[in-house]
Amino acid sequence: MVTGAATWTGGRLIQRLESLPEVEVIAVDELPPTIEVNSPMHDLAIDELDFAHFFLDTQPHVLIHLQAVDRAAILGREKSHSRVVMGARGLFGALQRCTGIEKVVMKSDSAFYGSGPRQPSILNEATAPKRTTSARSRSIRDVEGLLAEVALDVPDVTFTTLRLAPIIGAEIGNPISRYIRLPVVPTLLGYDPRMQVIHEEDAVSALLHAVATHVPGTFNIAADGQLYLSRVLRLGRRLPQPLLGPQHRAALRGLGTLGNRFPGSLEHYLRYGRVMDTTLMKDSFGWKPELTARQAVLTSYGRVTAPGTV
Amino acid sequence: MTDSMSLLLERLSRDELRAFARAAEIPGRSRMTKSELIDALRTELQSHSEPKRSKRSSASASEISEARRRRIHAGRRFDWMVDSRKSCTLRTIEGFACGLPAIAGRDRCALHGGTDISDLAVPAAGHLGIDTWPALLRHLLLASYDIDALGLDPVVSEMIWHIANFLYFEYFRVEVEGIENVPATGAGVLVCNHAGAFIPYDGVMLQLAVLNEADLPRRVRVVGTEILNLAPFLSHLYRKAGAAFASKEDARWVLNNGYLLGAFPEGVPAFQKPHSEAYQLRRFGRGGFASLAIDAGAPIVPVAIVGSEDVHPALFSSRRLAQLFKLFFPQQRVEELGVFLNPIPLPVKWRIRFLPPIHPPAPGPGTDRLTVLELAEQTREVVQAALDDMLEERGDSRF
Repeated sequence: MVTGAATWTGGRLIQRLESLPEVEVIAVDELPPTIEVNSPMHDLAIDELDFAHFFLDTQPHVLIHLQAVDRAAILGREKSHSRVVMGARGLFGALQRCTGIEKVVMKSDSAFYGSGPRQPSILNEATAPKRTTSARSRSIRDVEGLLAEVALDVPDVTFTTLRLAPIIGAEIGNPISRYIRLPVVPTLLGYDPRMQVIHEEDAVSALLHAVATHVPGTFNIAADGQLYLSRVLRLGRRLPQPLLGPQHRAALRGLGTLGNRFPGSLEHYLRYGRVMDTTLMKDSFGWKPELTARQAVLTSYGRVTAPGTV
Repeated sequence: MTDSMSLLLERLSRDELRAFARAAEIPGRSRMTKSELIDALRTELQSHSEPKRSKRSSASASEISEARRRRIHAGRRFDWMVDSRKSCTLRTIEGFACGLPAIAGRDRCALHGGTDISDLAVPAAGHLGIDTWPALLRHLLLASYDIDALGLDPVVSEMIWHIANFLYFEYFRVEVEGIENVPATGAGVLVCNHAGAFIPYDGVMLQLAVLNEADLPRRVRVVGTEILNLAPFLSHLYRKAGAAFASKEDARWVLNNGYLLGAFPEGVPAFQKPHSEAYQLRRFGRGGFASLAIDAGAPIVPVAIVGSEDVHPALFSSRRLAQLFKLFFPQQRVEELGVFLNPIPLPVKWRIRFLPPIHPPAPGPGTDRLTVLELAEQTREVVQAALDDMLEERGDSRF
């Protein structure tokens, strides 16, 4: 069963799952799908009890929970927060009662750690997240906390949580990809955040790897290398427009009314940046992304990748 | 060079030669004949063609020209590390060739994996100089190289190195002693006294001292507090120059990978010192550097810097100034700040002394919290003793 199947990541994941033999996919989402898939799509909101009952009726073997990160850009902050956290509560409750379930893979986000001036330069899985005001970070922490509680109650189930770096790509239409692909990019005057990214296909591969292998635990997932925002824009031949804090906020909001909605957490991210330690990803999770950060940025800008180059 | 020099000197009249000798401060010049003057001037000029350290404390014309020579020499002393006949093999995705010389014995240049950029700062073109800037800017614009995990940008840091060498050699005229105490390989913690007021030139000079004087240009990853992430414009420059954030995670990353960590354990309280208390070390924090050194088994190199605390002499320390500062940076923890009047730094002469390393005890059941505090206090005493010694040597001549 895949929740949050309407997103680009969900759709692409289902497409790749369908190509595997002996896999039956049950897709759940209340939004219209981004990518058309063959599997049936069930129109259920995860924070309603109907969904929990549907979950118990279908008795899936594997749950891929993609809707753990809020969709503030689509649903608005309050609604999205309550949906994600309450949805996780109901879903994990059903999980305790369900007998057939073997594995839970949850897509979390590096926003778990938040962004701030007191953060260490490299965040590992054990780093305690700092106090934050961002609704996005809070909801992710709440959901991960709930998951940890449930994991104690059902010891037979494998729980894998992937904290993905911001996903970028030419096809996925998430806020950060839209942001860096703007023709003129509003940046914060005097700040140049460090960023870590992962290519959209690599993100899907990481989720598939978690489904296919037995790797319990929480892992940071990101492409090799990190980039300053200024370098990302230089690679994309985009023009940065440095703005003061309030102007920057106004510019992002202005873009929001034009149809490009950005979550509030993006502003903190663009000031302080965030970089995770991916040692566990390579050692314990046993997986490596195909594209480096630089390649991911270039391909997401649609620039040519010649073979045999770095 | 000597031939052309004597030809030049012989063409000058005796009065001109004497004026020359006066500038060079040659003793007994008024009684010398023309040929004696020529000889004296020639020996004086030849003695300057080799880089050496000046013992004088005030900046005379010859000292400034010598400082300039030292600066240029320091920029060229890594020529041997690159192979100028061989080009780096890297081609970017877009198809651009690198064009920089490869590191001797390797296929790649300093930017593209020829050396470990987190540890060694080998100038990308083999030397520092304005002539290398076009190539550096090209790579900066192409973003063809990787930055390291803490955000070090080898190109930006090299540009800063090149510019800040002016401060190091010609403005502060830094003299370094005991550079051999800095470990040539592997981890090490440089523990240093922090300057009295506001702008931390000492962090930059500590980095430059190791880059310019040690056998290998090792980077010192200096740690800084929140202000490192908060200050606009400076925050990302600090990072690109190789600074780390004062946290256990960053410091462990530096030490476990075998790099040099530069710590100022006095921390923010150092900014509260009025100038009357200059060079009186404050408490060495909670001894975090000591526990990190024990865990990593890294030697502690105490460093004493004289000069840094006279650059901006603070008249008194003020709570009001700290409040004003907090208005702009509410997240920085600071109670008081030193008040100084000079907007530009005073051109005081700096001395940096690296002291023999202290090897921490092996981690185990015997190393408790008290051991950590004792080690921190031992380091503090060593630095304080060296400071007192150097201040006595300096006497009244600050410039």
